[in-house]
Amino acid sequence: MNTDAETTVASGDVRTGLIQKEWMQKYSTLLVLILMFVLFSLTVDRFLTAFNLLNIIQQISMLTIVGVGLTFGFAAKEIDLSVGFTVGLSAILVPLLLTMGVALPVALAAGLAAGVVVGVVNATLVTSVGVPSLIATLATGSIIYGINFLTTEGRAIYGGLPDAYLWMGQGRIAGIPALAFFMFACVLVAWFLMEKTVFGRYLYAVGGNLKAAELSGVNVKLFRAASLVACSLFAVIAGALLAARLGSGQPNAGERYLLDGLATVFIGMTMFRPGMATVKGTFCGALFIGIVNNGLNLIGMDTYIQSIVKGVIILIAVAIVSRTTKLKLL
Amino acid sequence: MRFPGTRALDSVTVDFRFDEVHGVIGENGAGKSTLMNVLSGSLAPTSGRVSIDGRELKLSSPRQALSCGIAYVSQEGSLVPGLSGAENILLGAEPKLARGVIDAAALHRRARELTTDWFPQVEVDLRQPVGSLPMADQKVIEIIRALRANMRLLILDEPTASLPSREKERLWDIIRSLPKRGIGVVLISHFLSEVKGLSDRITVLRDGQRVATLDASGVTEEQLVDLMLRRTGDAQQDSTVEPGNGVFGDTVLTAADWHVGNVVVSSFEIRAGEIVGLIGLTGAGHFEFARSLYTRSGVVRGRCEVCGRTIASRSARAMQRQGIAFIPDRRMENALIGEWDLRENLAMVHPEHAAMGRSGILKRRTEAIEADRIKKLLNVKASSHYQLLKNLSGGNKQKVAIGKWLYGARERYRLMIFVQPTEGVDVGAKLEIHAHMRRLAERGVAILIASSDLLEVEIVANRAIAFVDGRPVEEIPRERFSESAFISAISGSRQ
Repeated sequence: MNTDAETTVASGDVRTGLIQKEWMQKYSTLLVLILMFVLFSLTVDRFLTAFNLLNIIQQISMLTIVGVGLTFGFAAKEIDLSVGFTVGLSAILVPLLLTMGVALPVALAAGLAAGVVVGVVNATLVTSVGVPSLIATLATGSIIYGINFLTTEGRAIYGGLPDAYLWMGQGRIAGIPALAFFMFACVLVAWFLMEKTVFGRYLYAVGGNLKAAELSGVNVKLFRAASLVACSLFAVIAGALLAARLGSGQPNAGERYLLDGLATVFIGMTMFRPGMATVKGTFCGALFIGIVNNGLNLIGMDTYIQSIVKGVIILIAVAIVSRTTKLKLL
Repeated sequence: MRFPGTRALDSVTVDFRFDEVHGVIGENGAGKSTLMNVLSGSLAPTSGRVSIDGRELKLSSPRQALSCGIAYVSQEGSLVPGLSGAENILLGAEPKLARGVIDAAALHRRARELTTDWFPQVEVDLRQPVGSLPMADQKVIEIIRALRANMRLLILDEPTASLPSREKERLWDIIRSLPKRGIGVVLISHFLSEVKGLSDRITVLRDGQRVATLDASGVTEEQLVDLMLRRTGDAQQDSTVEPGNGVFGDTVLTAADWHVGNVVVSSFEIRAGEIVGLIGLTGAGHFEFARSLYTRSGVVRGRCEVCGRTIASRSARAMQRQGIAFIPDRRMENALIGEWDLRENLAMVHPEHAAMGRSGILKRRTEAIEADRIKKLLNVKASSHYQLLKNLSGGNKQKVAIGKWLYGARERYRLMIFVQPTEGVDVGAKLEIHAHMRRLAERGVAILIASSDLLEVEIVANRAIAFVDGRPVEEIPRERFSESAFISAISGSRQ
């Protein structure tokens, strides 16, 4: 009897401990993000201004879009290492077609189609041939990189781009960058698909327990494929916007989006539902990176130091995710 | 050793001798692996000790057990497939020329010496990568590696499980020869004839307790099965479950000429409202058969009809579309998502139930209402449907694994296949699950249960089919149900 009483007391304590621990797991990264924002606001002069905040949003918009695509992949436990080069692909394909006189909607549609092609190739390799996505996309990434440089001979594509296209990357609506609207549209659509639809549920089921999903009658191949197509699709959207923002198509402009995009997802996976990639998590991850970059920029920190800081943040995020959950890729 | 809720091994005392092969048998969960893990140092007992020659040993790691002369050869083996036999035998103890440089010639000589010293009659290729050798040779190499150091006791876990019968005999000779040279062998196997043939003494474990240690020569296989399974005076006898009236609906599923792995079932059928139990010892093939009807994986050939229609597509998805549900064993691996909450797990099969029309857009409220309905229906004990599944108890998890097939199922499933339906489930939940199976059957669902719990089949089923060595050997109607009838059926006619 006596021992029973003791156990009850102990389990009560354990439970409150558990809830606190769970809360910390879910929101500690968000807390750090807010603290960082407050810190920069108090210490850096030009940080907390409408102009600078809009600037941050503009800076992270393409990154967020790539990250959102990768979130689909991570939800189904697939990783796409070709996104950076896929960003580059549409960042040269769309301007190239425009300089050749193709109408803007057609050029944009062609960019999207290229994304679908890349996604389908990746998906076929993964689901039909059976190559792990990590390796398949490493290879296709290299192929796309080659194509990008062959078609442009390594030179930028510029001049003669229509104003409507340039506006997509540089224009403003009521003072708010057009890019922000594109970003929020992508985030909203992705959030809705992932959180509010049967599609998203199956996608997470496949990533959560492939075997259980398969035995529940889920078309596992289809959803793994869909997650990879989403990765490429969001990457080409980001690429088209990137070229519009730069005013030119640069064959190597997309490269940094792979690492940064992965970082947004990893940071996102430490919050809300630890170990699971969520759209809102990824968005917060992108904000995190955007604020760090911007803050360090305003302080006048060297870009190379920024790179080091970013690497450290990624390491911390991945360490948290790996330690708190049984995350396994490959 | 205590695991949550139960004691995996409860005050078991066994003595092993250095001049005997000592068989250890018991069904899954009887405590064999726990005992072996304690002996081989991978698990520390909560209380108790291990001694050799009356000297108490401290076994806190497999390495320490090895240095005390106890070696463990696992079922899957632990050889490095890409290395040669010789390299594997002397792994970690390679003869060296200089610092860090391996003396290949000496290595091979030494491995060859060890082999001929221990087993002069045996021919094994020590130069080939072991991955390309026959399984029996791999076992021999692994045993030689274990004997490399000064071994006293060798634990062999299912050494012949993956061997073709020709190769088994070679290994048997080797096992028999060891006690003559002063090395005790502990043999774990679920092939009773093998255990009986090889062992001098046999220890039977059941539910974490030692039931008996017997002289192998004075006991029959049937007696061994009886000792392994009989649960006289089990507290969970239950009379609230009423057996069906024996009148069933149309045939729901037939399988004919069914070959999966080593299992062959020439014909099988199950009718609406009928509960069929498949019984057998571990490895008898009843689990494989039940699984293969749904997953269709590993099926070499066979015809399957659902409600008179031949199902050609060989996927779990096709079967699910035909109204067949599958509640697999090892639920956390095969059925559930630990990081998901209760509601999401319940909605895994039919999330579209909570969607608006055919749009695929989910309504949280509808989902919550349906999840609550299932939660109540199956009496799942959870603080709310937002509780993470991994934090539920075994019984509640199993209820969710069943509930996900009832969630939003407009037309109910015609056939539900259960494998080990109450594995790791507490007694209360077990009764509820049994009652629920009965209720489903009354509503016309055909239920197929493959279980190692004979009592469970006795309580719930209308008909039992006993499997032996991959074949259904006997069909037992409910009137003839008794534990002894089951036991004699599943131990019958073993080669």
